[in-house]
Amino acid sequence: MPIHDLGYRHWAGEWTSHPYRWWVITRQGIRMLVQKKRFLVLMILSAIPFVVRSVMIYITTLVGDSARRISLLTINAKFFEDFLSQQMFFTFLIAIYAGAGLVANDLKANALQIYLSKPITRRDYMLGKLGVLVFFLALPTLVPGLLLFLLAVLFQSDLTFLRENYWVLASILGYSLVIVLTYALIVLALSSMTQSSRFAGISFAAVFFFSQILYGILSQILRTTQVAWVSIGNNLSQVGDLLFRHAPQYRSPAWVSVVILAALVAGSAWIVHRRVQAVEVVS
Amino acid sequence: MSAGHNLADGWRNVRTIAFLTLDTLFWSKKTIFVMLISLFILGLSILGRLIMSYHWIRAPFTSAQVFAALMSTAVIHFLVLFVTLFYGTALVSEEVEGKTLTYLFVRPIPKPTVMLGKYLALIWICCLLVLPTILLSYLILYIRRDMSQFLEDFRVLGIDFGIVFLAILAYGALFGLIGAWLKHSVLAGLVYAFGWEGIVSYLPGFTRKLTITHYIQSIFPHEDSASAIAMLIGQRTDALESVVTLVLLTLFLLATASLILREKEYILEQ
Amino acid sequence: MTSVLEGKGLSKWYGQVIAVNNISFNISAGVTGLLGPNGAGKSTLMKLFTGQLRPSQGEIRLFGEKIWNNYPLFHRVGFCPEQDAFYERMTGEQFLSALLSMHGFAESEVAARTEAVLEKFNLVDARNKKIAAYSKGMRQRIKMAQAMAHDPDVLVLDEPLAGMDPVVRRDTIRQVRAWGREGKCVIVSSHILHEIEAMTSTILLMHNGQVLAEGDVHQIRDLIDRHPHNIFIRCSDPRRLAEKLVGYPDVLSVRFHPDGGALTVESRKPDEFYDRLPDLMLQHDLNLEEITSPDDNLQAVFHYLVK
Repeated sequence: MPIHDLGYRHWAGEWTSHPYRWWVITRQGIRMLVQKKRFLVLMILSAIPFVVRSVMIYITTLVGDSARRISLLTINAKFFEDFLSQQMFFTFLIAIYAGAGLVANDLKANALQIYLSKPITRRDYMLGKLGVLVFFLALPTLVPGLLLFLLAVLFQSDLTFLRENYWVLASILGYSLVIVLTYALIVLALSSMTQSSRFAGISFAAVFFFSQILYGILSQILRTTQVAWVSIGNNLSQVGDLLFRHAPQYRSPAWVSVVILAALVAGSAWIVHRRVQAVEVVS
Repeated sequence: MSAGHNLADGWRNVRTIAFLTLDTLFWSKKTIFVMLISLFILGLSILGRLIMSYHWIRAPFTSAQVFAALMSTAVIHFLVLFVTLFYGTALVSEEVEGKTLTYLFVRPIPKPTVMLGKYLALIWICCLLVLPTILLSYLILYIRRDMSQFLEDFRVLGIDFGIVFLAILAYGALFGLIGAWLKHSVLAGLVYAFGWEGIVSYLPGFTRKLTITHYIQSIFPHEDSASAIAMLIGQRTDALESVVTLVLLTLFLLATASLILREKEYILEQ
Repeated sequence: MTSVLEGKGLSKWYGQVIAVNNISFNISAGVTGLLGPNGAGKSTLMKLFTGQLRPSQGEIRLFGEKIWNNYPLFHRVGFCPEQDAFYERMTGEQFLSALLSMHGFAESEVAARTEAVLEKFNLVDARNKKIAAYSKGMRQRIKMAQAMAHDPDVLVLDEPLAGMDPVVRRDTIRQVRAWGREGKCVIVSSHILHEIEAMTSTILLMHNGQVLAEGDVHQIRDLIDRHPHNIFIRCSDPRRLAEKLVGYPDVLSVRFHPDGGALTVESRKPDEFYDRLPDLMLQHDLNLEEITSPDDNLQAVFHYLVK
């Protein structure tokens, strides 16, 4: 719900200093979403893979060296990369549910005028909305990823795992941030382009699915995976392989994927910046 | 009043609502978005044609193979799905969100007429946006000096048009129903289109018959298609049975959507 | 008088929230004002009148017939909704024609009625403009136009004066009264007493989903007047003002504000008091800084009625 639905009340607390004003918007956005039961169910479901993988780590620790023979029970960099890649299914759904209406509903209710008439800037507004998405997209990715790593370390009897895999922490952080920012900014950009959250949600799904289909057809026609950069999902996989030091799945260079994702993120941020205005002049 | 007069009035009301809906749905950002996707598909056709014409890769493929790949993946499993999802879920939901449903409900017309009119508009829009894309792709891939293959495959194009039309009818009715029934119709539609159909259509036995895509694939005419399509088309249902099922399913979904529209109370937020 | 709209033990709830709570009423031809604060249940009741909602309990009948899913009844009903919602891309003329054609009129009659109603609501110049470009007042007028273009017997108007400028407001009030004199049943809702008062003397007063008072507006107003009004005034010389006010018989008491710059007057006839106050201020060269009436509201009336 935009600000105008909350009504006016005198503020009896402390005034927030300017650098943190975006947090007010983020906090309110988080509060409103956690009140929705269906959204909470989705968040709970997104935790299931974390539970399954925690059990896998536990079993691996119990079984010991024999675990190394079963690839599924090998706790290495790929284990964490696979976890984050699989969580993209949930980040996709969460991005649609939480993100499609974030700006679209404000545009529809003319709430931007109200927001921007308060002592917050456009940047505060954008950061605030982005903060909502980053929070909920980090919950199924970064947070459980780090927790899994912590579990893997804690369940060991010595520091061998940590010594050999300390760099995986940075990979988890980096890959999660790439996933979160890509999904968050794209859905925010689409949400800012329309007053209909439905249109934003479908467009978001269309962008992801169509890029994958485009890759499928191109790779069939050109008989190569060098065109993998066409698909957003493939680009994310390539970056994941790069960060987790794996051989890339596709023949497309990883730096191309990095550039494409960076362009997508920057382009989306620019769109949001252009669209977030107090007044829209219609000729 | 005679039955003929009632029918004439009923058809007039359906037409009025269809034009009203067409105007609202067509002139929107959705249409620009769909046209962009269509342009991409045409771009792929052009690319395929250029590759064939200038032999850019060693392993050549035929126009039929490229067209089949485009039809199966880009058109039927993406464009048709998205167009019907986009517009189908919006039929009733946008009236509710826009609070204009009141104007239609406080009129002396049965609510199922409203649903029928909107559905008609949906079919028009979807056909208008999808069928030219298929025709243009076909022309791009097939036109050459020797037109014999063009004419031979024209029959297949006709069948493709028919399949896409049936797909639009069935998916349109389904997403129209979802839009009339559920508040979060987009998510539900996406879960069906890319969750249910994506998974269940690969399951063995009778289960695959619980998807619309199974019947579409059963009447898909392209025999010399890419391996992906061959993999998708497992056990086919008889073509006539598929067509009849799709038509009956469409009627059933449309009737259910009309019933929901009739009985459901739509609370327009103040 | 024959009852046009009848409700018996009517209730409507949404989940745990009771919007309309066991009300019974009989509305005849003429203008009836549906009055109440925000959240009283007026809009819900109007939606029950127009078949957009189904009663949770009890029944509601229009011309003796149930309303829900009874679409032939809507030949005789016109509804002007509260929400500012339109098919924005349509011109005013297209909007009216499209809705009129759903009433079964021939094309020539649709055109004639569209023309007539555009003229009646002073929208002829704007007929070919898209509704998206209309001003707030024009939007309200086109909404009213679509409600009465088919000449219904029953008009349900939800906050019809919202957003109208004073001239258009006056014209609309006159129009509503004319419809009432023509024998139509017009139900007008508002949360502003004097607007309703200008249109009709028969009202239904609602609060918390219940009908608290029903009948002639003057009778209800008298109830308000029997409960004295408190009026807070801040001015340049409160004591001089008080000196002048105590001479009037409707002023029951005057209390001075601790800061010495304001006073609270208790008056039995607030309308007379407000009429007299500007002249008093001018005659005695007093500057009025603030005037409020803490209890000149329906809430106070309802509190009084419920006690």
